[in-house]
Amino acid sequence: MATGEDLAGRTPRDELAEATEHGALYLRRLRQRQLALSLLALTAFGALVGVLPLAIDIVPQLRRDDLLSVPVAIWLLVVPLPPIFLILGALYARRADALDESFRELVRRR
Amino acid sequence: MIAILAVAAVTAGTLGLGAMGTRLARTTSDLLVASRAMTAWWNAAAISGEYLSAASFLGIAGLEMQNGTTALWQSLGFVAGYLALLLFVAAPLRRFGSYTISDFAEARLRSPRLRGLASATVLLIGGFYLVPQLKGAGLALNVVTGAPYFVGVLAVGVVVCFNVGLGGMRGITYVQAFQFWLKVFAIALPACLLLIHLGGLPARAALFGDQYPSVGARGATVTVPAREQVTFPAATSYTIVPSAPGPARSRTLRARAGEQATLPAGKLVLPPHADVPVAAGTTALRGRDWARPVGGSGERSPVFVYSLLIATFLGTMGLPHILVRFYTNPDGPAARHTTVRVLGLLGLFYIFPGIYGALGRALVPQLYVTGATDTVVLRLPQAAWPGTVGNILGAITAAGAFAAFLSTSSGLLVSIAGTISHDVWPRLSREGTTTVGIRRLRFRLAAVVGMLAPIVVAFFAQGVDIAVLVGWAFALAASTFCPLFLLGIWWTRLTAAGAACGMVAGALLATSGILVGLALGEPGGVAGALLAQPAIVSVPVAFVTMIVISLRAVEPPTPDAEMLALHAPEGLDLPETGVRDPFVLGPRAGAS
Repeated sequence: MATGEDLAGRTPRDELAEATEHGALYLRRLRQRQLALSLLALTAFGALVGVLPLAIDIVPQLRRDDLLSVPVAIWLLVVPLPPIFLILGALYARRADALDESFRELVRRR
Repeated sequence: MIAILAVAAVTAGTLGLGAMGTRLARTTSDLLVASRAMTAWWNAAAISGEYLSAASFLGIAGLEMQNGTTALWQSLGFVAGYLALLLFVAAPLRRFGSYTISDFAEARLRSPRLRGLASATVLLIGGFYLVPQLKGAGLALNVVTGAPYFVGVLAVGVVVCFNVGLGGMRGITYVQAFQFWLKVFAIALPACLLLIHLGGLPARAALFGDQYPSVGARGATVTVPAREQVTFPAATSYTIVPSAPGPARSRTLRARAGEQATLPAGKLVLPPHADVPVAAGTTALRGRDWARPVGGSGERSPVFVYSLLIATFLGTMGLPHILVRFYTNPDGPAARHTTVRVLGLLGLFYIFPGIYGALGRALVPQLYVTGATDTVVLRLPQAAWPGTVGNILGAITAAGAFAAFLSTSSGLLVSIAGTISHDVWPRLSREGTTTVGIRRLRFRLAAVVGMLAPIVVAFFAQGVDIAVLVGWAFALAASTFCPLFLLGIWWTRLTAAGAACGMVAGALLATSGILVGLALGEPGGVAGALLAQPAIVSVPVAFVTMIVISLRAVEPPTPDAEMLALHAPEGLDLPETGVRDPFVLGPRAGAS
C-alpha cells in the first residue's frame, strides 16, 4: 500500500505513529464512533430482552393463550430472540468493519 | 453397555485428536494460543464447544424440570453474553495482543500489582467453574455405569490433564470444535426422535394445565438410595420397601395433601395416577405455574430473572477460558466475525435442552422424589422409549454429556495452567534465559497442579448444587472482569487503584450474597432472589466504585499508547504497541 512511499508531507498516519496530539484526536474520534455504534446495538438488545420478562409478567394473555398447544409466553422466550441476536451481531460487525475501513482511508490520505 | 462404549469412544476421540495436536504444538505460543492462525469457523465452533458445559447440557433441562420454564432465561442469557462480548470486547482485546486477562490488566493500567489481583480472580473463577464440571462427570458416569462418584471425577480429571498438558490449545482447538458438533448432535437427535416417537408433547395437563406431575396408569416404583424427606402435593397412598436387612417390613401408608414424610433407603411404590412427592427443598408446581416463565417469588420473581440476565449477559466476557480463546483469532475483525458465528452456533444448540425438561416432567416424574432432576437428559431416552432405541439414544446423550465435561474442563485448565505458569510462577525464573523446553515443562506442571485442587474440592462438593457454583462464577465474572474490560477499553480515565477497588468490591458483594443466601437456607421474597443471584446489585456497585475512585485521582492517566493498541485498525503499519509478545516473531498479523 501507499504508506511505504517517500513521504512529502505528514499524513495522519504519521501523527498516529508518532503519538502526537493530532493522532490522539483522530483515534479518539474513531473510538467514540465505535462506542456509539456499540451502545446503539446495546439499546436495541435492551429494548427487546429488557422488556420481555416484564411483558410476560404483566400481560396475562401471553401466559393463557396457546399456539400449537404451548403458551405464547414460552414461544416468545424460546423462538425469536436467538435469531435476532444473530442478525443484530452481524449488522454490528459489518458497521464496525466499515468504521475501521473509513478510518484507514482517512489516515492514509495525504 | 452401549452407553459405556459411547463414553469410551468420546474419551478416546478426545485423546486421539489431542495427540494429533501434540505433533503440531512446537512452541509455547502454539501451546497457549494456537499461534493465532485458526479460521473463523474453527474458532467459533471451538469457542462454542468450550462454552457448552455441564450447566448447558444437563443443568438447564434439570433446572427447567425442577423450577419451571424460568430456567429458559438462563439459556437465553448464555447466548446473549456473546453479544455483549462482540459489542464491547472482542476486537479491541484481540488487537491489544495480550495472552491472558492478567496481561490485559497489567499492560492497560501499567500496574504489576493489578496483574496479581486479576490472576487470583482468574484462578478463583476458573477453579469454581471446574468443580461443577467434575461433579457432573461423577454423577453422569454413576448414572450410565453405576460406577462410584469419584471414578467419573478422576476419569475426566486425568483425561483433561493429559490432553491439555500434551496438546495445549492447538490440540484443544480441534478437539473443542469436534466436541461442539458432537454435543449438538447428541442433544438434537434424541430430542427430535423422541418428539416424533411420542407425537409431540405428552400428558399436556401436567405441563401447562392444573395438575401436579404424576406417575402413569401403571404406577411406579422409585429407588431411594438414601433416607429422604419428601412432601406429598396431593393425598395418595404409598408403599415403602426398606432395603435395610432386619425387622423392617414393607408397609403401605396414606399421605394427606401437603404432608411431609421421611422415606427410608429402599423402594417407594406409588399407585397408578398418583401425584409424585418432591424432595425437601423443592416445591411441587402445578402445570400452569411450572409453565410461567416469570412471576411469583424467589427464583421465579422478575428481580431474579433480571439479575440472572445481567449476570449471564455481562459475565460471559469475564470467564477466563472464553477470553483466552479470542487470542487465537488473527486480528480484530476476525474476532468480530468469529463471535457472530458463535451467536448462531449457540442459538442452534439452546433450542434443545428445554425439550428434555418438558418431556422429563411428563415422563420421568420419579426424579422429583430424589431431586435428581439434573440427570433428566441422561435418563429420559430409556424411560420414553424402552428397548434398544432408547438405549442407543441414552448412549448418545451420555456421550454428549461427557463431551461437555471434557471440553469445558479442557478450556478452563488451559487458562488456569496459563495463568499459573505465566503469572504465578516466580518472576525470577520468568525473565532471562528460559528456553522453550523449560516453558513447556512449566505449562505442563502447571496443568497438573491446576487440576489437582478442583479434583479434591469436587470430592467434597458432592452435595453442593451445580447451578449454585455456575451461577456464582457468572456473577463473580460480571462483577469483576466485566467492569475492568468495559471501562479499561472505552474509558481513558480508569486508574489501577479504581480498577482494583471495583474488582474487590464486586467480588466481595457477589460472594457474600451467595454465601449468606446459602447460610440462611435460601430465603424467599425479593431479598432471597437478590442473595441467590446478586449480580443486579454487585455489578453496578463494581462499576460505580471503579469510576468514583478513578475520578479522585489527582493526575488523570494518559493512556494514549494503550488506546492506540486497543482501537487502531489493522493495516496501518503502526509501530508495535500494547503488550510485548515474547513468543510471536515479526509484526502483528492483519495487514490488509
